[in-house]
Amino acid sequence: MSAAYQHLALVDVRPGMILSDVLLDQQGQVLLPQGAVLTAATIALLPRHGVEMLPIARTDGEQHVQEAAIDASAVDARQAQLFRKNDADNQNDWATGILRRYVLDYRLGRSIEE
Amino acid sequence: MSALVPDDIVKNLEDLPSLPAVVMELLSSIDQEGVDISVLAKKVSHDQALTAKTLRLANSSLYGLQVKVTTIQQAITFLGFQTTRNLITAAAVTGCFAEGQCPGFDDKAFWRHSIATAACAKVLARRMRFNQDYAFTAGLLHDIGRLVLVSSYPALYQQVLAYRDTNDCPVLEAERAVLGVDHVVAGVALAEHWNFSDTMKMAIQQHHDPEAPGAGFLATIIHVANSIVHALDLAREENDLVPAVSSVAWTALGLNEEAYLHVFRETELQFEEITTILMG
Repeated sequence: MSAAYQHLALVDVRPGMILSDVLLDQQGQVLLPQGAVLTAATIALLPRHGVEMLPIARTDGEQHVQEAAIDASAVDARQAQLFRKNDADNQNDWATGILRRYVLDYRLGRSIEE
Repeated sequence: MSALVPDDIVKNLEDLPSLPAVVMELLSSIDQEGVDISVLAKKVSHDQALTAKTLRLANSSLYGLQVKVTTIQQAITFLGFQTTRNLITAAAVTGCFAEGQCPGFDDKAFWRHSIATAACAKVLARRMRFNQDYAFTAGLLHDIGRLVLVSSYPALYQQVLAYRDTNDCPVLEAERAVLGVDHVVAGVALAEHWNFSDTMKMAIQQHHDPEAPGAGFLATIIHVANSIVHALDLAREENDLVPAVSSVAWTALGLNEEAYLHVFRETELQFEEITTILMG
């Protein structure tokens, strides 16, 4: 189990949160593995399995905000370096451009905040 | 120098390190029905290092087992034969090649990239309802041809790396320019030598060209996973370069941004854990 986790009541759990530990149902069957990212659909199914509390990884969200605050320009520079062969004007290379945008969003913590 | 031809690679394969006999047996039996599992489990158990690594993988959060498996037989019971076989393969392959043969070639970075691609391919496969074990193993082995080239031609491969640095081009291009063959050809040769299944061979062969007719969906998954892992910078190589993503492959996966953000996160989480086990 991860050191930084908190038990949250089901009503406080939001999509995008991460399980810090494996989630079992009342019979001890595995419902979700450790590290699973919760989605709205999964959360909606949990009451049916009698789940009321969830072990949620604590640090991730905060960490990402912090990283974004500290490193935004460094992240940008590294992305530019990694994607240096991607030509934004090349119509045939649009998929690479989308990947670049998604990874940048992810790195800057614009993720998972619906 | 005169360029190499694929046959040169094949001739040199005999001199490469071989996988433990039992792993070869596992690989060659991949499509067979009625393999005696208990006999194989017993054989694997004789190799203690291999067993330990395999069990650590089986007990990792990747599989979310609530019980701790302590024998190969148990792993097969809880994870199934397919998954266990893939774990054994992963554990065997990552310890198989000697490191430090070619100055400038970063073996650790190579495995970090391979493991990350395996993790990412597995995450993508789950979303696409594709066989996750195939995806994991194909991801792990997609660039194995690079190790073949490094092991067989360490001096020449140094020139490849120098060419890449000078021209700032993808490594595939540098290999073709200097050697006349590339890691795809070498990987396919090794895959045949090691009796990999056709699906696996096809994924290794087509991961740079998933648009080719008959490339198969596994090649598409590996292709996109490969680019994602380069973009996430998981190998931590200074001069890393994200290869162009095939728009056909990207469209075939059809995932939206939210899905990809989850894929990135899960990939990073799994990557860390598997790396600790396989490279620890």
